[in-house]
Amino acid sequence: MRESQIMFLQYMTGLLILVFGSFHFLLISVLSPSPQKVLYIYSGINASHILVGGTLYYTWVKAVYSSLIWGSVFELLLTFLVYHVFNGFRVILSEIIPGGRAEKAITYILFIAGLIVFIWGTRTVVIGLGGGF
Amino acid sequence: MEQLILKDFGEVVKTVTFRVRRYDPEKDDAPRYEEYRVPVQKGMTVLDGILYIKEHIDHTLSARYSCRMGICGSCGMIINGKERLACQTQILELGKDLIKVDPMGNYEVVKDLVPDLSKLFRNHQNVKPFIIRDEEEPKGEYLQTPGQRERYAMFTDCILCGLCLSACPTSASDELYLGPQALAQGFRYIADNRDLGFEERLNVLDSKHGVWRCHFSGACSEVCPKGVDPALAIQLLRQVMTTNVFVRFKQKGTETGPERKSVSGVS
Ligand code: SF4
Ligand code: FES
Repeated sequence: MRESQIMFLQYMTGLLILVFGSFHFLLISVLSPSPQKVLYIYSGINASHILVGGTLYYTWVKAVYSSLIWGSVFELLLTFLVYHVFNGFRVILSEIIPGGRAEKAITYILFIAGLIVFIWGTRTVVIGLGGGF
Repeated sequence: MEQLILKDFGEVVKTVTFRVRRYDPEKDDAPRYEEYRVPVQKGMTVLDGILYIKEHIDHTLSARYSCRMGICGSCGMIINGKERLACQTQILELGKDLIKVDPMGNYEVVKDLVPDLSKLFRNHQNVKPFIIRDEEEPKGEYLQTPGQRERYAMFTDCILCGLCLSACPTSASDELYLGPQALAQGFRYIADNRDLGFEERLNVLDSKHGVWRCHFSGACSEVCPKGVDPALAIQLLRQVMTTNVFVRFKQKGTETGPERKSVSGVS
């Protein structure tokens, strides 16, 4: 891939992170149930916890994660973030340690690290979609 | 004594101190600063001051210069913290009694104020700073309208002084970065309607250490003594590269005019 293509995606993912990040922010603020509306009592073995603060309301979180639309939003946000962050690191590091094997090693290591984060994040989204938290 | 030396050339207005960075990599362990008192006449430039030191105080001081009129680009140095041509910088206009002179940054030092410009010239060479055409021998003139020339005219003023590369923060951290001078020249030729070398230059300009590593600091344009705006060239080059992501950027190359005979009759 040419550097112009890589950097074009870098700028585009930056913009998309703003858009999808806003959806995510909306979800955990305006769209989530208010503490007044929610009072969920979780009874553990030895204790009972009262979860107020709508964002952490268990059934709400579960409902959001099992929705295909929100699941897709999270997966896309994850994809954009992983690309933007790891390519950003590559750019910064290749400037500090330019050229030769070190630069190649940086690219490969960051690619693998990004892939691991992506797979791990996708796993969470998929489990959420299956209602399996 | 100082006044006597200069008496035939004009009135000494004041005496300033030159604090000059001295370093000979072959002899010295580390750079040091030395101070010299220099009598100043109206119109005297920093280069004149350096030459005064060399002639009258310390002839071991090294500096590079040639035209003494801002044309050859040899005398670039850092004067009072800013990249400037020594022959174009009037001492009195600096308005200071202490003139600090350093060699340009981001280059190895050959000696004292003489930088090793190999990197600048290598980068310049890498962007192929000449018109590239398909045909081996031009058959006639390559035609160009004044409007077409206007697209890149500013960038032809570059005198390769290397001040922009010295001021560039990316060049300071990335040894392989092409630098503002070479990138501006890359754009200068790509924007020339007579040129067909876009593809050939792409590997260098669109590389990992090419046009995308600029951080928009604009220091290059700030220091350029010829009013060239390398930062603008870099943005224009990015525009071309981004367009090229979607539609392959195609240079048409101008038509050639009628075949011409030279004055001597030899074509
Ligand atoms: S662009 Fe300006 S500062 Fe840079 S080398 Fe050319 S003349 Fe010097
Ligand atoms: S000596 Fe030629 S530009 Fe200064």
